[in-house]
Amino acid sequence: MLEGFGPILRKDLRLEVRTGESTVVLVSISVLILVVMVLAFGPAGARRAEVAAGALWTALIFAGTMGATRALLSERESGCLRGLLLSPVEPATIYAAKLSVAMIFMAQAGIAVLVVLVLFFNLDFGGALLRLLPVFLLGIVGLAALCTLLATVSGRVRAGAMLLPVMVVPLFAPALIAGSKASAAVLAGQPLGAVITWLKLLGAFDVLFVTAGYLLFEHVIFED
Amino acid sequence: MAEVVLQAQRIAKFFGERPVLYGLDLTLRAGQAAVIVGRNGVGKSTLIKILCGLSPPSAGRLWLFGQEPRSMAAQQFRRVGVLLHQSLLYPRLTCRENMEFYSELFAIPDAGAHARRWLERVGLQRAADELVSALSRGMEQRLGIARAMLADPDLILLDEPFAAMDADGVALVSSLVREALAREAAVIFTAHAPLEIAGVDLRMFKLESNGLTPFKDEGRRGSLRNLLRRN
Repeated sequence: MLEGFGPILRKDLRLEVRTGESTVVLVSISVLILVVMVLAFGPAGARRAEVAAGALWTALIFAGTMGATRALLSERESGCLRGLLLSPVEPATIYAAKLSVAMIFMAQAGIAVLVVLVLFFNLDFGGALLRLLPVFLLGIVGLAALCTLLATVSGRVRAGAMLLPVMVVPLFAPALIAGSKASAAVLAGQPLGAVITWLKLLGAFDVLFVTAGYLLFEHVIFED
Repeated sequence: MAEVVLQAQRIAKFFGERPVLYGLDLTLRAGQAAVIVGRNGVGKSTLIKILCGLSPPSAGRLWLFGQEPRSMAAQQFRRVGVLLHQSLLYPRLTCRENMEFYSELFAIPDAGAHARRWLERVGLQRAADELVSALSRGMEQRLGIARAMLADPDLILLDEPFAAMDADGVALVSSLVREALAREAAVIFTAHAPLEIAGVDLRMFKLESNGLTPFKDEGRRGSLRNLLRRN
């Protein structure tokens, strides 16, 4: 069922290792967003955890849209996407591979953001960050799933990359609220048990976005 | 009688309100070859994209191996090899990496050895480790043809395979077409001008705005030698 997944994933990672373009762009933009947030709101204060969580998720949203766009970019060069569609690989498998690549790109940017976040907001490197890990992972799965599907649609229209955040943010809003609330709580020192409802909500949206992407990808990938 | 590999019935294609192809019929059986001749912009590339199932027709029906392309299982596309105007090769991968990637995608055992054999077959063994972006147009065309044929498909669709080819390249494509026909594959390719391939019984069609018509002007058929002279 996932025949072709490995070769596509390996090929994309090989291209990224060779050029490093996506990593450089995503990490730079994400850190820049974080710096802007720190300058705008200040690193200290009573609402430090909320501001840090907001900064993290703002950076993740942009990393998600750009990561998904970059994951599909290599396929648009020289019409390579057509090469994939004309191969004996299920469109859903192409989606799964592209989703994985987008998640790897996002995770790279997210880790860079977390490091800067800890430094700028003077957060504890230990327990709070470990507790943030499940929130972070659940967040990037859903975000990457939604962004990969919508990047496929937006890639077919002029200025589609500009439109992508406009399409992603409203659809991701419930998960974004859950993610930022849970992040703020764990960064403020609360245990994971206190945010279990938000985690369940994030998980439910992950299932929804991954399933929608898996089922709908073949309807948006082919040409008219 | 040989299997019907491709059947197109009253195919039409519109881009918005503008008709590009209209009322097109074509049937091709295993072991048959057809060349579709037409001037620039008449819709040859669009037709190839429709015939391989990449772009749906606006009207009419198409069957590949008795099935409509959109209802075919992905595995069935192992039987279809396509060369489009774009090479479908990754410019930032080497020739070898591209061929290995597509061999793996087609689940061909020992992808590395298979890729090496095809690179030798199309005369690119010395360029194996060069990036595709560094190849000349003719070399990229050779590699694109190797990519289209690497899984020994039963239906081969080539959009202007002789474009940018030197004399050796034209001879290479001709021999690959002959080999494909010898193993009972069906081959369709497009060209700007009528031509012949020695030892191949080509059905020639002219693509015009009113459809596909058998090419009658035998006197204008060119040999590959003439094609080379024109190029």
